[in-house]
Amino acid sequence: MSEKTATPAPARMAGARLPLIDGIEKVTGRARYTADLEHHDAYAGRIFRSPYSHAEIVAVDTAAARALPGVLAVLTGVDCDVPYGILPIARNEYPLARGKVRYRGEPVAVVVAEDPLTAERAAALIRMQVNELPGYYTPAESRVPGAVRLHDDKDGNLERDVHHEFGDTDAGFAAADIVREATFSCAEVTHMHMEPHATVAEYDGERDRLTVWSCTQVPYYVHLAVEKCMGLDSSRIRIIKPFIGGGFGARTETLNFEIITCLAARAVKGKVRMKLSREETFLTHRGRPQTDVKMKIGMTRDGKLTACQCEAVQAGGAYGGYGIVTILYAGALLNAIYDLPAVKYDGYRVYTNTPPCGAMRGHGTVDVRHAFECMVDRMAEELGLDPFAVRRTNLLPRDTETINGLIIKSYGLPECMDWVEAASGWKDRTARKNGSGGRVLKGFGMACSHYVSGAAKPVHWTGEPHATINLKVDFDGGITILTGAADIGQGSSTIMAQVVGEVLGIDFGRLTVIANDSAVTPKDNGSYSSRVTFMVGNAALDAAQRLKGVFVAAAARRLDCKPEDVECLGEVYRVAGSQDPGVSLKDVIAEALVDTGTITVKGTFTVPKAFQGGGHRGGAVGSTMGFSYATTAVEVSVDADTGQVTVDDVWVAHDCGYALNPLSVEGQVQGAIWMGLGQAMSEETQYANGLPTAPNIIDYRVPTIVESPDIKVKIVESLDPNGPFGAKEASEGALSSFIPALANAVYDATGIRLQETPITPDRLLDAMVKRERDARRAASQKGAA
Amino acid sequence: MEPIAPFQFRKPATVAELSAILADEPGARLLGGGTDLLPNLRRGIEKPPTVVDITAVDEMQAIRRLDDGSLRIGAAVTLAEVAEHPDLRAAWPVVAKGAGEVAGPTHRLMGTVGGNLCLDTRCVYYNQSEWWRTANDYCLKKDGEMCHVAPKSKKCFAAYSGDLAPAALVAGATVDVAGPHAPRTVPLADIFQEDGIDYLVLAPGEFVVALNLPAPPPGLVADYAKVRVRGSIDFPLAGVAVALARDGDTLADLRIALTGTNSQPLAVTGLDAFAGKAPDEDTLAAVERLVAKQMQPMRSTFTPQTYRRQVALRLTRRLIGDLFGD
Repeated sequence: MSEKTATPAPARMAGARLPLIDGIEKVTGRARYTADLEHHDAYAGRIFRSPYSHAEIVAVDTAAARALPGVLAVLTGVDCDVPYGILPIARNEYPLARGKVRYRGEPVAVVVAEDPLTAERAAALIRMQVNELPGYYTPAESRVPGAVRLHDDKDGNLERDVHHEFGDTDAGFAAADIVREATFSCAEVTHMHMEPHATVAEYDGERDRLTVWSCTQVPYYVHLAVEKCMGLDSSRIRIIKPFIGGGFGARTETLNFEIITCLAARAVKGKVRMKLSREETFLTHRGRPQTDVKMKIGMTRDGKLTACQCEAVQAGGAYGGYGIVTILYAGALLNAIYDLPAVKYDGYRVYTNTPPCGAMRGHGTVDVRHAFECMVDRMAEELGLDPFAVRRTNLLPRDTETINGLIIKSYGLPECMDWVEAASGWKDRTARKNGSGGRVLKGFGMACSHYVSGAAKPVHWTGEPHATINLKVDFDGGITILTGAADIGQGSSTIMAQVVGEVLGIDFGRLTVIANDSAVTPKDNGSYSSRVTFMVGNAALDAAQRLKGVFVAAAARRLDCKPEDVECLGEVYRVAGSQDPGVSLKDVIAEALVDTGTITVKGTFTVPKAFQGGGHRGGAVGSTMGFSYATTAVEVSVDADTGQVTVDDVWVAHDCGYALNPLSVEGQVQGAIWMGLGQAMSEETQYANGLPTAPNIIDYRVPTIVESPDIKVKIVESLDPNGPFGAKEASEGALSSFIPALANAVYDATGIRLQETPITPDRLLDAMVKRERDARRAASQKGAA
Repeated sequence: MEPIAPFQFRKPATVAELSAILADEPGARLLGGGTDLLPNLRRGIEKPPTVVDITAVDEMQAIRRLDDGSLRIGAAVTLAEVAEHPDLRAAWPVVAKGAGEVAGPTHRLMGTVGGNLCLDTRCVYYNQSEWWRTANDYCLKKDGEMCHVAPKSKKCFAAYSGDLAPAALVAGATVDVAGPHAPRTVPLADIFQEDGIDYLVLAPGEFVVALNLPAPPPGLVADYAKVRVRGSIDFPLAGVAVALARDGDTLADLRIALTGTNSQPLAVTGLDAFAGKAPDEDTLAAVERLVAKQMQPMRSTFTPQTYRRQVALRLTRRLIGDLFGD
């Protein structure tokens, strides 16, 4: 490989195991996150939050707060009467509550003061006068007949119900040899990104212009919401995304504190810095809703799935947010992983007096996938079938369209299963459980999952391409990639550089990525639904190919040949097949600049209409150009005395189409498993009368490195025909296979199928104790008889 | 991160200086590693006018072996030092283990012996922000009228959660106490009482200067087991320390102490009755009943109290079995 070649060859960037291009800044601490930005000239913002779950606001008394020396302004709901919300059809939230408060922790007022301590003192002086209303914390409470409506336009506090049937489920169940049904209750979880929320906003009173630095995954959506709520022309707003300490979906919609900070900055005609505490970050939430999933599956004796009926009820929290999308995803993604002839889905998104839920890694699919994979495991066992074998019986064709109109063009699930089965020693697992019993119970479990590579239809339909990339080339010979895609730690900037570098075959050092400054970079819908590598990557591919065309044309002029005769060797262009030394890229660029000056090339990507989902209502959600696939196997040890579960080993194979950067893909897959581990074993948000009981990192139990098992990752490359170089989703899909794989392993170890997640030691021990008690009771009854 | 209210900062070099500061400033709080105090300051639970850093107090330094074979551990010694100290590990591995089970490595590098012994009691209704506690009308332990764990109770049920104390209790530890009165040495158990608010029985201005571990009696073996959801960071849902000595096939000595289940580290009493008994099923069941009677886990943690009760009993049984051997 390291042989010297006589002529230079294009550098290979696609498939290279490159460290992330912003890794050095992060590792050395040089990276500046929003809260690290210079703020000596900034006032401190502080949000006053509702202590009530549900109440009509009679008055908000801010007089004492305003009178405190050092306080510049206090704003309330009176100061902004424009509702916002990520979905144009569900905008029912005000930055500061108006008329009503609907959850404890909802922003009611904001104080701007000279320093944080004064702001805190002033906020403590604010008084609310209210008429309290009943608080509803579960869908059951919200849906009781006669319950007070959280929102006037939603009867029964039902934000959205979805009823879909594809195929004939009655016939499917009739054709089954066994039909089984169970209900699963999955706890609410939150993202727990490392960086607590922060925004800095600077308002220029003389020029009526606003600059915002914020920890967002979606700078464009922030731009839109700020424009609307401020009544400020969008041309006067500039949104900049600094380094981001994770997102995982929390920041995929404009959040209240971002708009509040902007309103505050305009009120004081200056710069305001808003740093939310960890507790406030929990209250801002937008995580995965508590979900009850009733799952009914029909199966023939040889393991063929005949029908699936699923009901999902989500406690969505107090406002719309992404709720409608979440409840639609939960139904749509029952499909597109196995060959299911009939699916009936009933979804209910219910308003509750708790912080609003939203998008979270594996948006919508995780809890229903958990229920599905647990049921398949249970039914396979009942029929005496192997969990891998039963899934193999239900594989999809590699190129197909599902019953609900989702299109599949690549399908690496079989390869994922093959690798995991072999690597985990699945067939020898009985022998490997030798010694299980007594104090330590050993178990193995597996499950599969999938996810989209970007939503085929964007939230805001404008008719624009789904993604745009600009490349700028100037006298210096550097190539600048201008992208609006938000690098939130997932490595999107690195991937853009690799795509461009691969096409041009140039020295990587020529590339600079500028991301996320609305005054500089092209609009991008943002980093969510795993869209960036696929869509923005394709736009980068398009841009790079166009730029290469410019270079080839210039080289042809220099070489005095036809463009089709030019051979590109990355740093050198020459006449194809010739022995001459050719022209250096620097000279090619100089030639390209003649008469035109600075070159700007644009690349775009648009998802064809055919991929945008079935024609049914809500059919766009779940639609994508490429599904990723994953299989996970887990080995656990359970302490029989304490119910504590230790994950000893994890094997995961992920079909990401093509690994543009295997190092990065492995990291993303490990992250997904790790996040699934938290949801499976220890993370949950509960409320005591609407107050979250674990709004901190001690009680909200995110796994630490101590709990992190060895995660063995296999990348499966199915080469999607539409992905850039074949690439598709790499960071969400594996998450939802971990949770059922763990539950199935715990069953294998203990014989207990817990219907609740997380599988905490107390829940497991309770079930084990109950089983012992029941067994004793049964034995004594038998004895008595 | 929440701003901390301003305070005076003092850093005395001797016990006498520290006593004088505390005599002048009744509201002063002691600062060791800050791992317990700082979160409470950030949450506005405490707003002391003065914070006194004890890490430079001369008499509170070092682990020393005395002539009688006992060990004196200064209150300012870090938990990491206790966990790693060779003399201590040789004499009382159970105490080293207790210290090593506290939180995570960085906490142990900062946290001190005095701080962990005197750790504030904890409760899901107490360890919350000012906003949270206001919204919940505060609680009996701080600023409020009602105990949300036991609404009819006039007593606070916040749980003691130190890992060092139960291990030190089964070792028969004493503490040196100083303050406005004459210095005194008392059994460790005597500085605690069953009250979530006034869990420490120390006079105003009194403080712990050192922890003393006696020379280990021959034949005594001990261990500490801690149950938590995560293997790092978490406070104990329940922690059990057991020490026992064997006389042939019977127990010669049995000591049990619990943490996480009561408002104090619970030194189980009445265990003398088991001397001379074989640790058979009857004995173990009787021990279990005795422990069950004295412990009182309440709804003060995110994890249900029934779990804490169950695992405390199961661990007690497991430790006795393991330590007794075959």
